[in-house]
Amino acid sequence: MSIDTIVFFTLAISSIISAILVITRRSPIMSVVYLVLNFLILAVIYLTLQAQFIAVIQVIVYAGAIMVLFLFVVMLLNLGKEEALTEKITYKKRVAVGLVVVMLVQIIVGIMMSDSKFTRHIAPNAEQIGTVEGIGKMLFTQYLFPFEVTSVLLLAAIIGAVVLAKKRIDG
Amino acid sequence: MLQQILESLKLFQPEIVLTVVLCASILLDLIFRNKPNFIGGFVIAGLLLAGYFVIEQANGVTQSIFSDMYAVDPFSVFFKALIILSALFVVVFSLQSKELNNGKRKLGEFYSLLIALSLGMLLMTGASNLLMMYLALELTSLTSYILAGYKKEVPDSSEASLKYVIYGSLSSGMMLYGISIIYGLTGSLSIYGINEALSMGGVNLLAPKSSGLALIAANVLMIVGFGYKISAVPFHFWTPDVYEGAPITITAFLSVASKAAGFAMMMRYFFVTYFDAVARSMEGHFTALPGFDWTYIIAIISVLTMTLGNLIAIWQNNLKRLLAYSSIAHAGYMLMGVVVLNNEGISAILIYFVVYLFMNLGAFYTVMLIANKIGSEDIDAYKGLGYRAPFIAVSLSIFLIALTGLPPTAGFIGKLYLFAALINAKWIGLAIIGVLNIVVSLYYYARVFRNMFLRDPEKDSSPIIFQPIHILVTLALVIPTILLGLYFSPLVDIAQASVKMMGLM
Repeated sequence: MSIDTIVFFTLAISSIISAILVITRRSPIMSVVYLVLNFLILAVIYLTLQAQFIAVIQVIVYAGAIMVLFLFVVMLLNLGKEEALTEKITYKKRVAVGLVVVMLVQIIVGIMMSDSKFTRHIAPNAEQIGTVEGIGKMLFTQYLFPFEVTSVLLLAAIIGAVVLAKKRIDG
Repeated sequence: MLQQILESLKLFQPEIVLTVVLCASILLDLIFRNKPNFIGGFVIAGLLLAGYFVIEQANGVTQSIFSDMYAVDPFSVFFKALIILSALFVVVFSLQSKELNNGKRKLGEFYSLLIALSLGMLLMTGASNLLMMYLALELTSLTSYILAGYKKEVPDSSEASLKYVIYGSLSSGMMLYGISIIYGLTGSLSIYGINEALSMGGVNLLAPKSSGLALIAANVLMIVGFGYKISAVPFHFWTPDVYEGAPITITAFLSVASKAAGFAMMMRYFFVTYFDAVARSMEGHFTALPGFDWTYIIAIISVLTMTLGNLIAIWQNNLKRLLAYSSIAHAGYMLMGVVVLNNEGISAILIYFVVYLFMNLGAFYTVMLIANKIGSEDIDAYKGLGYRAPFIAVSLSIFLIALTGLPPTAGFIGKLYLFAALINAKWIGLAIIGVLNIVVSLYYYARVFRNMFLRDPEKDSSPIIFQPIHILVTLALVIPTILLGLYFSPLVDIAQASVKMMGLM
């Protein structure tokens, strides 16, 4: 077992544990903190894959900006009502968990068994691809079109957010 | 690279026009603050211009643009024309809708978002890269959520929007998961690249033990995304609530254009990605990749969709909900055309969609006109309507007869070609289930015209007067519905000429 594999599995297992902690904590603030932890671990996984730029963006945007907003909202909304977040386990949830496990097993077995030559394939120039320069070049050449479509998507989303959040109906 | 992008832009005019109209309508809305009808008119002009460019592309051009991200071919041009035509009708409907124009809200953004929605659908028809497919789907979904909740002072509308968001984000999340597995297996996001990787044996489908299980799992996840967009069972749960709660013009648009875009994207994905390029088959026929028989998955979904849609429609008392379930059933009929894997099946779906556009938009429009006057969409409130508003009641009956698929309406032609394609491809069992479903559907459509013509009006029996413009728009939908049932050879010719997909031999 190489050092890469050990690092990967350590990170993967700890990210799964933190993800489970996110949905099992009673206090929403603790959930958010574990979510931050999960994002940070993911950032490290990106680093091991030589995607430095994505890793930095992950920390700045998700763990930084978005999660701080999350924390603010949670703190503003849920003052002292942490006990209210208890749930009952119904038969529907048991069935749902069962289905999720079936799906997971199916995917794992499928990937294990499929004889793909790509799964063990590492791009020779992986180090150059992950840099800001590499991403920028791809973004403005081969991926120019999706990049521009994203801007339209965001424009529509902004208009929609304004329309739905506006208080005065008559404008 | 720059040269290639500039070349691509020449084939991208309709979408550019819509993007410009989207931005301009937001700005014009700030200048002409209290004239929503002006924005509506501007949007119509923009759609007409985009439609002109789409028709200009209808000369058989088959090209992949923007580094294989987007395909311009007769197939996508056909769907683009369909989407723009229905967008035009929907803008006209919205200008006349009473529930929207009640002075309680600003409508400028409504038309801007309609353009964004149409743009998303146009992008869905041509997307030939999984990344692009996801982005186009998100653009369409996001604007649909907002438009479904546009009557935000009405609780039903907000509920519709919220349910739509929850189902939509769940299914697009599952689709992304599917995309990531496919990328992991084949190392490509482009549908041509995936096909190549699979054909070259990158993923060995025929090797013992492997059997493409991962590919099937990934495609089940992909079908969740597509199925949600075309409201196929079991991903249909949002449909009745959203169709009932959303403004009726948006319901009409979602039921026709959104479904068309979903079908276009799904057909392109399955046909181009999983056809067997090695096995040379007859002209106009193609075979699925050995080891991955996705047609059976689609056939099962098709049977479930039409049967469940029709059976539940029987119990509905709200006409909007009834039409929602009927639109689920129609998605099931059209899915039958996907499984036959030949040009006949594709052209049958194209014919069906044109017919479906006129009859379904017509049904929703007449329901809207009646709701404008009597303020209700309950089937019980339609008692005696045949005597109070004969023209509209007869038109609604024609649309419902067409939706059932009886001659001499266009609905019959649509179903005829679909079943002919099925029987020629030896899918007899599926065809029989389809015919049985049509019989079931006759029952609930007939209930509506029984209430309109065979029952006496209950309280109010005064005649309802409609304005000439309403009659005119209704005629614009009734005439094609009947005419295409009698003289359909031009439509069939156009559909048969539009089956060519980029990358598919």
